[in-house]
Amino acid sequence: MLKNLKLLLAGAALAVALPAMAEAKTFYWISHGGPADPVWTYFLQGANQWAEDTGNTVNTSFHSGDVPSQQEAVRSAIAAGADGIVTTSPDPGSMNAVVDEAHAAGIPVININTPDPTVDFDAYVGMDLVVTGAQWAQYLVDKGLVKEGDFVWMPVEVPGATYGVQEEQGIRSVFEPLNITWEVTDNTLDQAEVITRMSDYLTANRDKIKAIIGLGDLVTGSVKRVFDQVGVKPGDIPVVGWGNSLDTTQEVLEGYVNAAMWQDPHATSYVGLSLANMAASGIPAGFDVLVGNLYEKDGAQLVDDILSGK
Amino acid sequence: MALAHETHSRDVPADERPLLRRLIAKPEFGPLVLLVVLIVVFTAINPNFLSPLNVSNTFPFTVEFGLMALAMTLLMTAGEFDLSVGAVFGFSAVLMWTLFNQGLVPLPLAFVIAIAVAALIGLVNGLFVTRLKIPSFLVTLGMMLVVRGTALFVTDGFPQRTWNAGDQWIANLLVGDFYIGPFRLYMSLFWFILAAVIFWYILNQTKFGNWIQAAGGNPAAARARGVHVDRTKLILFMLCSAMAALAGVISSIRTSAANPNSGTGYELEVIAMVVIGGTALMGGRGTIVGTVLGVFILRLMRNGIVMIGVPGLAYNIFIGAIILGMMALHYGLERRNHAGN
Repeated sequence: MLKNLKLLLAGAALAVALPAMAEAKTFYWISHGGPADPVWTYFLQGANQWAEDTGNTVNTSFHSGDVPSQQEAVRSAIAAGADGIVTTSPDPGSMNAVVDEAHAAGIPVININTPDPTVDFDAYVGMDLVVTGAQWAQYLVDKGLVKEGDFVWMPVEVPGATYGVQEEQGIRSVFEPLNITWEVTDNTLDQAEVITRMSDYLTANRDKIKAIIGLGDLVTGSVKRVFDQVGVKPGDIPVVGWGNSLDTTQEVLEGYVNAAMWQDPHATSYVGLSLANMAASGIPAGFDVLVGNLYEKDGAQLVDDILSGK
Repeated sequence: MALAHETHSRDVPADERPLLRRLIAKPEFGPLVLLVVLIVVFTAINPNFLSPLNVSNTFPFTVEFGLMALAMTLLMTAGEFDLSVGAVFGFSAVLMWTLFNQGLVPLPLAFVIAIAVAALIGLVNGLFVTRLKIPSFLVTLGMMLVVRGTALFVTDGFPQRTWNAGDQWIANLLVGDFYIGPFRLYMSLFWFILAAVIFWYILNQTKFGNWIQAAGGNPAAARARGVHVDRTKLILFMLCSAMAALAGVISSIRTSAANPNSGTGYELEVIAMVVIGGTALMGGRGTIVGTVLGVFILRLMRNGIVMIGVPGLAYNIFIGAIILGMMALHYGLERRNHAGN
């Protein structure tokens, strides 16, 4: 009897363990973002949370806009026999070859954060950045904050990167017919340098700037410090831009920024990995998931709470 | 003193030359001319370049670079580099604010710990260079990655909150702001001036200053004459790291951000400031006054090209072109000076 019971328990344990072992998969989450970029830390948290919740392994890496490094990471994931890959597009078309290689190896690849229709990803989770750009511009026009012939300043961290290019494309679609002009300026990823360069530009062009669109999180999150340094009062110059950091939620609450875009970075990673898992189980991810919400002062506290982990 | 003066003794007639010739012969003359030219050109194009608001905006970041450049001047005069200063700049602020935000220690103590840890990093750099005889370029490149990686790993990439710095006396002491007429100035300017005076005195008026120049000029000869070359370099590596930490802490309080990624690329800009100021790239000759001029040249140039309205995305083209032009002018003046001698 005891022997049978032991056998039964052993069998039961094996029955539980084997499927669990069989189901534990390994995914690679590969980002073009920088490890110290505040918003990417939230994306990373979402990936880590998914791993914790599902019991799967998620290997993460950042590549700071270095395309060859990111391609190498994807190839490493393929060589390691990944069950699925979740990655971003650092530049349009730059991931074409490696995604084809992953597909040839039977590995699904989900694109997050920045869409790239030139690459054959299985699915996309994130925002439509062209639409985002158009939303910002339309917000300024609809609220009467800019009018025909005005000039809008658009600071960005990394000029030429996909996100800024696509956002500008959307902005152009709204501003160009209204003869509203704009300038994109290079501000780097270094906080002190961002503040200095933005302060310099604002000091030099204070009179002609009618509105500001922050094309990235770091520049939008620096607006308060720049305004304080240059002596611009909150609300004197309308500002819209990204709102995925606590800096920006506070700026919206205090009136420095009129409206900011929340892209739900945690959920983007979480859903991206879920789609990769689904595809790895044989259910194709034949659809995209779009996120994004432009919030004003009344919605800022909610985002602030999420970012604060409350 | 004898060692440093021997190199000048070949140019004996120095004191007998006319005042203008003597002025032109100084290594600081080139950078001074460059600085004056920059100010005149930028002001001519946009008179707001010298407006109180713009001057007030330009000083704080400039002196943060300056604190690093002053120490780098001494190290480079001794014939070594430190490529880890940018990483230490970011790491030290993160360390200080992490200790404080976690409630482990009060802010003044966290500040002292951050400076001490930075000095320790400098000590490790120095030991690798002097004991293992590995070039400082390679040692500090490796240390840069170690320090930067540590800052990222410890913080998970999240910036440390520094909003509550305003109530702390040490924050006011380091970087509190005040007005002199229409100019908004920060205490960091005072620390920069103080450091410049002290470092100038050390380099030009003390035995240790002679050791620094001797260590960079001809280390073998210096050792033969009893100069503690290795000890001198060790101290300078520690000083360089500690000053980078001080600059990083000041910057974190001023910008309300202690980001583990802060300071990326600063090392090359700091070295450029020192070299443009007239310090020899390979050691043996250094000038604190020149470095002060070099710091202002590079930072005012960045400010000026924005003020005169160059296209935003053409920023780096202008920076690179101006640096090349300045270096050509600088070395041209130096060659002419030597030919004149």
